Amino acid sequence: MTALNFPAIRARQSETHTVLSFAALASELQKFALIERVARDAEGALSGFQRPQIAGHIREIRDYLEKPEAILPNPIVVAFTNSVKVKDERPDGRCTVEIDTAYGAPGLVVDGQQRLTALGQVEEKDFQVFVSAIICRDDEELRRQFVLINNTRPLPKSLIYELLPTVAGLPRRLGDRSVAAEIAARLNYDESSSLKGKIYQHTNPTGIIRDTAIQRVIINSMSDGVMREMIREPDGNDLSFRLISEFYRAVQFVFRSEWEEHTPKTSRLVHGAGIMALGYVMEVLALLDGARTWQEFSRGLACLVDGTAWTSGEWNFADSDRRHWKSIQNVNRDIVTLAQYLIGIVRADVKRRRSTPTDASADPKPPKVASAT
Amino acid sequence: MKFIFADSLDHVDPGYDFLRDRYSEGRTPYWDDAYPHEIMGYAPYKGMLVSRGIVGGAAVGGKYTEAQAMRFRRVGAREFLRLDKPQFKELPIFGDCGAFTYHKEDKPPYTPEDTAEFYDDAKFTHGCSVDHIIFDFDESLKGFEGGTEEARRRFEITLENASAFRSATAHMSGRFTPMGVIQGWSPGSMAEGARRLVSMGYDYLALGGTVPLKASQIKACLAAIRAVVPEKTQLHILGFAKADEIDTFGPFKITSFDTTSPLIRAFKDAKANYYLPTTSGKLEYYTAIRVPQALENPKLIRLAKRGSLKQEQLVSMEKDALAALRSYDRGEAQLDETLDIVLAYAAPAVMGAPLEELPDAKAVKDLGERYRRTLSDRPWRKCSCAICQALSIEVVLFRASNRNKRRGIHNLGVYNALVNQLPANSDRNDSTQFSSDSSQAERNAHSSFLCSASV
Repeated sequence: MTALNFPAIRARQSETHTVLSFAALASELQKFALIERVARDAEGALSGFQRPQIAGHIREIRDYLEKPEAILPNPIVVAFTNSVKVKDERPDGRCTVEIDTAYGAPGLVVDGQQRLTALGQVEEKDFQVFVSAIICRDDEELRRQFVLINNTRPLPKSLIYELLPTVAGLPRRLGDRSVAAEIAARLNYDESSSLKGKIYQHTNPTGIIRDTAIQRVIINSMSDGVMREMIREPDGNDLSFRLISEFYRAVQFVFRSEWEEHTPKTSRLVHGAGIMALGYVMEVLALLDGARTWQEFSRGLACLVDGTAWTSGEWNFADSDRRHWKSIQNVNRDIVTLAQYLIGIVRADVKRRRSTPTDASADPKPPKVASAT
Repeated sequence: MKFIFADSLDHVDPGYDFLRDRYSEGRTPYWDDAYPHEIMGYAPYKGMLVSRGIVGGAAVGGKYTEAQAMRFRRVGAREFLRLDKPQFKELPIFGDCGAFTYHKEDKPPYTPEDTAEFYDDAKFTHGCSVDHIIFDFDESLKGFEGGTEEARRRFEITLENASAFRSATAHMSGRFTPMGVIQGWSPGSMAEGARRLVSMGYDYLALGGTVPLKASQIKACLAAIRAVVPEKTQLHILGFAKADEIDTFGPFKITSFDTTSPLIRAFKDAKANYYLPTTSGKLEYYTAIRVPQALENPKLIRLAKRGSLKQEQLVSMEKDALAALRSYDRGEAQLDETLDIVLAYAAPAVMGAPLEELPDAKAVKDLGERYRRTLSDRPWRKCSCAICQALSIEVVLFRASNRNKRRGIHNLGVYNALVNQLPANSDRNDSTQFSSDSSQAERNAHSSFLCSASV
């Protein structure tokens, strides 16, 4: 009993190749399909074609497959050059495929090796998956199919991020991004948002502010800032949305002429670097001043007015570090430098306000943001 | 003599699943993780040191994420390190600039002023002036002689910065202790540096650039420094790499030193990576057993890429090695068979070639002997620390961060106990006092017990 039989359906696609589809158990797949990893022998001849497994990716798939609601609609593509027979073919394409495993697994996995490996690690259930089988003339043809099938273009990140909030049960890595994408989308479409219509998204290509920049502010705040506690409240998403909206409303109010009618090219304020650096200023004001409304944020930001160079002039980061306004780029180093510079001024101002008696009465001790422990 | 632990985000997932090799469900790194003082139930050190180079920022890319670095400054080091509990409140937090992270630069990327601001923002209790490492150490030089032009330039930068740093931190007096860093190219030049720091008003000095030096060279420097500074001047050794020779440093009256060595050795040292105290108050070292993750170990991935080993085959060898070790720990497998299975898998990971291609290699034999000693002595059974008690044999498996760092944290506990026991510390009455004759029951009674050999 070395032959495996599967009811299959054949699609008429090419005179030279046979293409079939059928369902098989993961354990059966492992009997008839091999993952041939690319390697060279001592003479340098190339064999196989698959890259090594990526542990993290496999783990993600496995976590998903262990769930009862898991499905895997896209097929594992297996190519054969021999040991396969198509029997009992009917005019409508229904047929039986017989695979002979007497001399080992005759098929090679062309697409889906990470999925297949993950399937092999799911011990609790034997999952049935679709197999697309290609019967090729020879090995060369088989390798050609591998290149063609795997040379696909990934979806644009911006589109994926935008779709994320509508998808449940994502791996954790995408889960955080999903909440951020949801809040960013709301900032773009909610009537009460200070950033309404201003965020670039796949579906809003006329937006000025990069969605990834505002998402980064949200992600940073959720991981290590004020939104970490906030998001756990019953109305966490609302609170977080309002916080960001109020903060950038204050930014627009305090730096009106550098915000309005500007693009990232003409003003670093609406550029990724400015948006992200200010995100850290928001954290300082939220922590030290307990600021939540745009008026409170505006008061904290006012001290910056004479020290910025969003649209012209230069930044005076240090005696030895003066930068033309345009030289600020969307790279970590610049964002951190800019943020530290702005925070330095804001902190000094908070201290000054606290030590001024008249202000102190109007400015009750800020609520301390609860520590995470 | 205080052992200060130089942290570099050294925390572990307390809910890590060692059988499935998975992080706990829904774990958020850092937030759900435990620092050594959290997982051990007591602090296996007398303070922590955080280097500005590790935190990172615009000038130097650190180990913290950008958002973590920002939070560190915002909420302060104590809250960040979670030393804000009552039992840790007294532990000092030292800061330094991490001069090794910028040793290739012409001058330090930090100013005394922005460093003072960094320490102030993050509320450090102690902080080092901005130094610049001097290489080319020559212990034969007398007094202030010798020193290349570059060495003398760095010497002056270090002292100018120290002077400016004192002024920049003057407003923090009472809540912050500034430390003047000594750099030099010889014992005499270091003594001169120390003398000048004392005359600036420093009463706590930190000896820098000792990492490449031998213990005897460090001692020569300390002797020269001690000869010129007042009796009451406190001394710290920065980045003390010779941590296991600390018992020979008594005569120099060191107040404190920082090191990360006991932790790092757990996964950087090829042989000595599990510490166990002996009854004579020394350390004994064991070799942890490598069972790398088949699909993640770079050497194994390289072998798979070249096609000399199949990944499916590696995965099954890995599974067998883990199963054999656990059976051995339960007393269900013999030492020899366990060792064979383990070596078949460990050899390619250590030597980068399958066992068949390494006939009679001496290295394999040595490795086998070291593993044999670890397995037959079962040191993890002799330690009663929280980690060894909970992990059993997993603690001696050299495998991914959660085991390796836990072994490192165990080492910290052993090491801290060793330092407490030194004559220089014998009169101190710490809550974590080492007691070699305490009974098992007594040790279990408080979580602040020490790893001690129950031999």
